[in-house]
Amino acid sequence: MRRRKFGALWMILPLYVFTLIFVAGPLIYMIALSFAEANEVHGVNWIFTLDNYRKILEPVYLDTFLQSFRLAVTSTAIICLVGYPFGYFMARMPESRRKKTMLFLMLPFWVNSLIRLYGWIIILQKKGILNHILQSLGLIEKPISFLYSYPAIVFGMVYALLPFMILSVYSSAEKMDWSLVEAARDLGASRTKAFWTVTFKLTVPGLLSGIILTFIPSMGLFFIADILGGNKIVLVGSLIQEQMTRAGNWPFAAAMAVVMMVLTTIMIVMYRRISHVKEVEGIG
Amino acid sequence: MKKIATGVLCAALAASSMTVPVLADDQEMVLYTWEGMFPQEVLDGFQEETGIKLIYSNFDTDETMLEKLSMAKGGDYDVIIADDYIIEAVVQEGLAEKLDKEKLTGYDNINPLYQGQFYDPDDEYTVPYGAGIPLIVYDPEMVDIEIKGYSDLWNPELEDSIALTANYRVINGITNLTLGKSMNEEDVDSIKETGEKLLELAPNVRLIQDDNTQNALLSGEASVAFLYTSQVMAALAENPDLQVVYPEEGLGFGIMGMFIASDAPNKDAAYQFVDYILQPEIAAQCFDYMGYYCTNKAADELVDPKLVVPDSVSSGEIVQNVSQEAEEQYNKNWTEFRAACD
Repeated sequence: MRRRKFGALWMILPLYVFTLIFVAGPLIYMIALSFAEANEVHGVNWIFTLDNYRKILEPVYLDTFLQSFRLAVTSTAIICLVGYPFGYFMARMPESRRKKTMLFLMLPFWVNSLIRLYGWIIILQKKGILNHILQSLGLIEKPISFLYSYPAIVFGMVYALLPFMILSVYSSAEKMDWSLVEAARDLGASRTKAFWTVTFKLTVPGLLSGIILTFIPSMGLFFIADILGGNKIVLVGSLIQEQMTRAGNWPFAAAMAVVMMVLTTIMIVMYRRISHVKEVEGIG
Repeated sequence: MKKIATGVLCAALAASSMTVPVLADDQEMVLYTWEGMFPQEVLDGFQEETGIKLIYSNFDTDETMLEKLSMAKGGDYDVIIADDYIIEAVVQEGLAEKLDKEKLTGYDNINPLYQGQFYDPDDEYTVPYGAGIPLIVYDPEMVDIEIKGYSDLWNPELEDSIALTANYRVINGITNLTLGKSMNEEDVDSIKETGEKLLELAPNVRLIQDDNTQNALLSGEASVAFLYTSQVMAALAENPDLQVVYPEEGLGFGIMGMFIASDAPNKDAAYQFVDYILQPEIAAQCFDYMGYYCTNKAADELVDPKLVVPDSVSSGEIVQNVSQEAEEQYNKNWTEFRAACD
């Protein structure tokens, strides 16, 4: 018995070492950095200060957090409205069509997401395909400026994250025991009533995990706002990047990253409280 | 500047793998700069003319260069070409040779517009080798007003039509210039005023992007653009009808400077090389190849006219490091500005 335990330890050890070096290490470094002082020109002075956190409370920077939050809420809401019915009906499809739909859903992932975004630029720009089609159909006279606007960013977010919602709703709808719906109908419930009392309730975990899978990344997907939004909306992610690279203020960037991390952690904890599903986000 | 260096990487690969003819005397010199800074003919020409074997050594960033040169105590390398701001540090650390201008017959060919800059106020150490100048470019077919300077960018006629590069110090800097201040204004209250002025530009901004900004202009997405030199050249190559504006308020530029290391192993060869590059025909070949603005007045007639700044422009300033408080205020201005653009 003893020997086996010892053997198991050796098997697990690399994982612990890996986690310590590549997860805990950078994390501690980042937290330490967030309390340090930025050097005049470049680099860091290791002097304890709370200034970086104080700076986040200034209206300019606080506003970027609100902007990120607003964008994440907007896109997640749209993703829910589109993704839930999609996943639901996909689960109800006959086997062969379901497989085809799944293939079409996964197909875009074979192409790098940045390249797909640039593809959207070609479609949406003023001299682009969409404007060309609308003009030749006589629907519009002057080309419409689709790009570099708030709706363009939301569109990009929805486009990038929708599959995650669809897949998680689908997987919970597919696992569902449909005889329960039949039972509800037999006992006199209307179609809508049966849906809300049985189907919806049983697929809520899928919906919630879909929300987590879309909401948290959408707080961080700033490159969509940069590419389709023309950098005109300042999200926390792009602010962190700018402070790291151009402004050379690593401590401030680290402080924002820490705040961001705390916020997402709070969200995950809240989600766990509500859903009691612990496996989905990988920390169960 | 580093960008261009990687941009012409392919051409540079050829340069780095060049074959050197075996020469009678064993003289050699080391040229230390980014890849792709010289056309092969120029390098070959120098070797043929002088019989000095040229070793082309590369660095990726200015900082690497400073580190290596500093470790070699100004030795190992003969001629070095790097960016303005790093040369200031090189000079401060005593790693650059005070030039003996007697040995440089072509010294008077230098365009004075690029001299007397902060990194070498008395022109003791450096010879400029190309300048990058962010400029306004617009499509006259889509713009009804005449654009002469930065201040025209604020014209309400240009609503939602300007593409900007994303360098916050430069954008703050041109705003300073429209207010009659230095690009490197240090006073925080004054910089706050700059920020207010900058906010007024927001409604005119169509997009802010650092890479391939010229594409927005070429695709008709924007009608006016504020572009880096490489982007200006790329835009003109695609659409020669675009109008380039040398803003009347003055230019903001970045200069690459050539200097001789303080303890260069072969100083004579180094002087010969610098002088060789100062010859108008040779300089013109180099600037044509690099696509940077010509810093050699005598070469102006020989080089691609697109690379010559007109005589009407008499002033230019380089973005320098400012105090941390000033830097932070510039950064804050920029974040507020970007948020206001939506």
